[in-house]
Amino acid sequence: MGVNLAYFPPVICGISFILTVFFTRKAPLISSLISVFAILSSFILFIFILIDFLSPNLNSIDFSIDWIDVLDTRISWGILLDSLSVTMLGLITLVALLVQVYSISYMKGDSRFGWYFSVHSLFAAAMIAVVLVDNLLLMYFAWELVGLGSYLLIGFWYEKRAASEAAKKAFITTRIGDVALLIGIILIFKSTGTFNISSIFHIANNGGINENILTISTFLIFLGAMGKSAQFPFHVWLPDAMEGPTPVSALIHAATMVAAGVYLVARMMPLFSLAPYVLDFVVFIGLFTFIFGGTMAIVMHDIKRVLAYSTISHLGLMMLSLGFMGIASAIFHLIVHGVSKALLFLGAGSLMHEMEGETDIRNMGGLVNKMPITAITFIIGSVSLAGIIPLSGFFSKDEILLTVFEKGGILILFLTLIGAFLSSLYMFRLTFITFFGSLKSDNSKIGESPILMTLPLILLALLAIFMSALLLEISTFKGFIFFISGYKAHLNLLLIVFSSILSFVALILAWFIYIKDSKYLTDWFKLNMNCFYKLLLNKYYIDELYQYVINQIVLRFAQFIALFDRLVVNDIGVDKSSLSVKSLGLKLKFIQTGKMHGYAISMVIGFLILIFTWAIL
Amino acid sequence: MIELIHIQILSALMFCIGVYGVITRRSAILILMCVELMLNAVNINLIGFSAFRDFSQNQRIFGHVMIVFIITIAAVELALAIAIILRLYKNKSSVNVDEVDLMKW
Amino acid sequence: MDLIKENILILTILLPLIGASLIFITPGHLNNIIKYISLVVSFITFIIVILIFIFYDINSGGVQLLWNWNWLSLKGAWPLGSEGISLNLGVDGISVMMVLLTGTVMLTGVMASWNIQSRNKDFFVLYFLLLAGVFGVFISYDMFFFFFFYELSVMPMFLLIGYWGSSSDFRTFIRTKEYAAMKLTLFLVAGSVLIWVAIIAIFVQAGLGTFNLLEIQKVVDDKFPLFFQQVNFLMIIIGFGILAGMWPFHTWSPDGHVAAPTSVSMVHAGVLMKLGAFGIIRIGMALLPEGANSLMPLLMILGCVNVIYGAFSALGQTDLKYVVGYSSVSHMGYVLMGLASMEHLGLTGAVYQMFSHGIMTALFFLAVGAIYHSMHTRDILILKGIIKKMPYASIFFVFAGLTSLGLPGLSGFAAEILIFLGVFKSYGSLGVLFGSLAVAGAGITAIYILRLVSKVFFGRPDQNINNILDTTKFENMAGIILVVLILFGGLYPLPFIDMITSGVTPILNNILGAL
Repeated sequence: MGVNLAYFPPVICGISFILTVFFTRKAPLISSLISVFAILSSFILFIFILIDFLSPNLNSIDFSIDWIDVLDTRISWGILLDSLSVTMLGLITLVALLVQVYSISYMKGDSRFGWYFSVHSLFAAAMIAVVLVDNLLLMYFAWELVGLGSYLLIGFWYEKRAASEAAKKAFITTRIGDVALLIGIILIFKSTGTFNISSIFHIANNGGINENILTISTFLIFLGAMGKSAQFPFHVWLPDAMEGPTPVSALIHAATMVAAGVYLVARMMPLFSLAPYVLDFVVFIGLFTFIFGGTMAIVMHDIKRVLAYSTISHLGLMMLSLGFMGIASAIFHLIVHGVSKALLFLGAGSLMHEMEGETDIRNMGGLVNKMPITAITFIIGSVSLAGIIPLSGFFSKDEILLTVFEKGGILILFLTLIGAFLSSLYMFRLTFITFFGSLKSDNSKIGESPILMTLPLILLALLAIFMSALLLEISTFKGFIFFISGYKAHLNLLLIVFSSILSFVALILAWFIYIKDSKYLTDWFKLNMNCFYKLLLNKYYIDELYQYVINQIVLRFAQFIALFDRLVVNDIGVDKSSLSVKSLGLKLKFIQTGKMHGYAISMVIGFLILIFTWAIL
Repeated sequence: MIELIHIQILSALMFCIGVYGVITRRSAILILMCVELMLNAVNINLIGFSAFRDFSQNQRIFGHVMIVFIITIAAVELALAIAIILRLYKNKSSVNVDEVDLMKW
Repeated sequence: MDLIKENILILTILLPLIGASLIFITPGHLNNIIKYISLVVSFITFIIVILIFIFYDINSGGVQLLWNWNWLSLKGAWPLGSEGISLNLGVDGISVMMVLLTGTVMLTGVMASWNIQSRNKDFFVLYFLLLAGVFGVFISYDMFFFFFFYELSVMPMFLLIGYWGSSSDFRTFIRTKEYAAMKLTLFLVAGSVLIWVAIIAIFVQAGLGTFNLLEIQKVVDDKFPLFFQQVNFLMIIIGFGILAGMWPFHTWSPDGHVAAPTSVSMVHAGVLMKLGAFGIIRIGMALLPEGANSLMPLLMILGCVNVIYGAFSALGQTDLKYVVGYSSVSHMGYVLMGLASMEHLGLTGAVYQMFSHGIMTALFFLAVGAIYHSMHTRDILILKGIIKKMPYASIFFVFAGLTSLGLPGLSGFAAEILIFLGVFKSYGSLGVLFGSLAVAGAGITAIYILRLVSKVFFGRPDQNINNILDTTKFENMAGIILVVLILFGGLYPLPFIDMITSGVTPILNNILGAL
């Protein structure tokens, strides 16, 4: 019993994948039930594991399965169970469970209903394996399978050109990061001779890894994390990934997969802490992405894109916290954000479900009366993310602000607060435009979504409200911050007051612009910010830049190589040399005179030459 | 007393006569005869070595084997060559090899 | 059982030959009988191959299941010793894997040739001759017969491509099947000239009067000076490198793959290209350890060029089959890099990559062949939305594509990761450079595969093509066999890896011991 159960969640989900792909293809409903059952049992197992983990006498796991074994190099599947992985296991199984339940209703009637749940199982198995495995290479193994799951789900409606392009873009962008990640992992292997995470930490702490190699490899690992967590400049795939079904966005592109990068950095923190330059880089990227994502979220009109940019921005915030070695605050924000963002995406899905796939918020408005449950849960989620005081989003953000304030100084704190202000602003904008204001006439017939969809919403909303209770001390559990990092949480009253004021200012500003439609403010924005607005709306033209690079440089280069291969290597190198033999033959054939005496004489002369050379040698 | 060197000189002379004949004669028949002369020169050489050198029984046999081979091949070749020359005579009414250059490029 | 076990190796050569003769005496108009004969024969061969895998005892390692037949022995003044030239058969861990690969591709190749329309009697005769040669190369422990079987496997290729192949028309230029067949044959014969010279040189230098590899191996340290080893190893890597598609001698391979009919492409890219890498191990590394040691950096550079160059070339192609052809060039680069790493990990990975790539590329060509058969075009710019019309072929292609871009859980990842580890561990910081380039090559592979998948398989199909044939029953079976092997080899590669390690270790220890 107990922690040894940790093997089962990924295995159960993997079996569910195999069953649903090969055996229940004709019965999609059974596929979905198998899949939900698998993730439900994983969640129950998580509770057992957690109970066992919190009990004082924890027995360690010493069971592993060899994957590859060549002489002294052994790569085996083992379990690394600590507070970090248990937390992630809980988040993944919980969100995945709710999303799958939600999907039963949301995806009803789709022609590939069963396949959808198969891929969900695959994804769950891989994602759980990422957080549980104790071996860097096998973590990469699962990491790539997570990418595959995301690829298949984004491209779920592959008939749509946009969906298949988005899937390709997501896979290739993260793949670029993964190339760096793999190189980083192998570099560490080269200097330590092992992939086992705890052995690597042990060797690194004893100075077993050269400082330069450590810096380079942690930098490369961080590139991998940036790819998965959609940090600038790899952020381009995440907004496009919204082409997939909305529950997928909730699960993969908000709560779990994009969190894998944050998890990876947190997991490898003992190595990162030995590489100060890389930590500075993490801070820079995190902070930049936090503000950068927020600016774009303000102007988008597509509800899912607003949420996607908000995800990018919040992932940046987590990275920022990690850059200051604030693992606990980052992970706490990760789970709070995961729950809230899953709630928001599911709410958006609920809207789209009732509005026949409409995603443009300009066509919504006043929906609060039509869909009360969706609206209220959605508002709870956005208020939580905006950081209004009693909700858990406020506390998680506050923990990070505290870390930043203590380690980073006033300038970075100021920049972070700007980002936080932006984040409150776009969340309120989204809420106000979508649910308040006047009802559009097309939308008068809209009703509430079915119970299977609203139930997960309610559960998630409750979590978004009460999650901050995790910070409290309950008997042996000394609060979440202590659970992760081993020191107790504390508060800075000044910071709390200041960030609350900032959020309220954002609330009031959003109220004036989007509800009151204050002429003065909007005119001022239109006058002074027009070109800036255009820049934001076009996502800083980064997608265009990348497209240009791919089309004009990479593909051109490939065409050049292909042409080079055909014209130079083949036509000149091969065909020309064969032609030269042919033309030489055409010239030399005139030696054949047909006169017998000529032949006889040349034979004799040749023979004599041979004799003489032999004699001389 | 006949030594190996005498046989070698005989063989060399026969070979050179043969070569001279092949180069200078025009009649196909004569050329054929000269070729036979060369082949037999080689045979004499081989049998000389086989008989006079200090070889073991196993190795000695190789010289004999070669001669039998050459004689056989010479006979076969002659049969073919004569046939070709006869056809040539029938077509061209001459066996002068200078007039036959159909095999040029 | 013992009788089978003692003679099992010769069976792998004899069975295809028996199959060829059976088909040869069958009247040509009995198409179905010919097909079923070939199916049965290749299935029996497949079982024999699996039996070899089972009979081989990993724990004791070394060369096992020895079989010997004295083909030509002359007492006397001949330079051949008492053994003369004899057919020595035996397998080590490497050969077992290669034989397993050959058996699988042979069976699936027959299943994929169900649609051959014209003269299928001659087709199968040649096909079986080709495979008898391939089996012979993998299990010969005698350089003479090694070369003999090598030539036997090259020659039928010319006819198979030249007659049953297909030409491709690229509007601006044409690649005819005759051109491809001629180019392939000339390249391979040129390579085999170099190999033959090296083999004779080794034979003469060893002075044992035998071609037996195991005998020659014992005198390597005494008889072969460094310079001799270097010169001959250079000839070996160029000669076999041509067959392995080494840059810049690779151009025969995409053209050849494309022009060949489906099953021949499968055998060709799947097995025949592996003969090259196998020859480098069997003759080059085993007999010329010091030469290998001093010239491996060259092979490493060429392998690295192969990986990157092949990947970019594949990205620049517009023909589905050419993409696959160039991806073979790229993947054989990984094999060469693994060989050149001179590390247990890298060499094991190289052999495993040979196996994995063989299976994968067979699946690739199976899918492309089926698509071409029903769509009558392979142009990427024209094809779209195929997955709706031909689900099986598309799934096979996507599956093979995911294997080739090194997706974990499929055999390609296990092989590539071992190669990467080996390359990184070798040659100090240069190894890191080469290793990084190799990993980047896998990234480029992802680009060209996914671009293809998104363009050709996804999206909406054209409405005006309705009566599209899907894959046949036999093609599906063949595909499923290959898919299962890929999955097994990726999820649980341990049995295969153990098998390969047992074969690789003595060879590598020999090289490292020679330093």
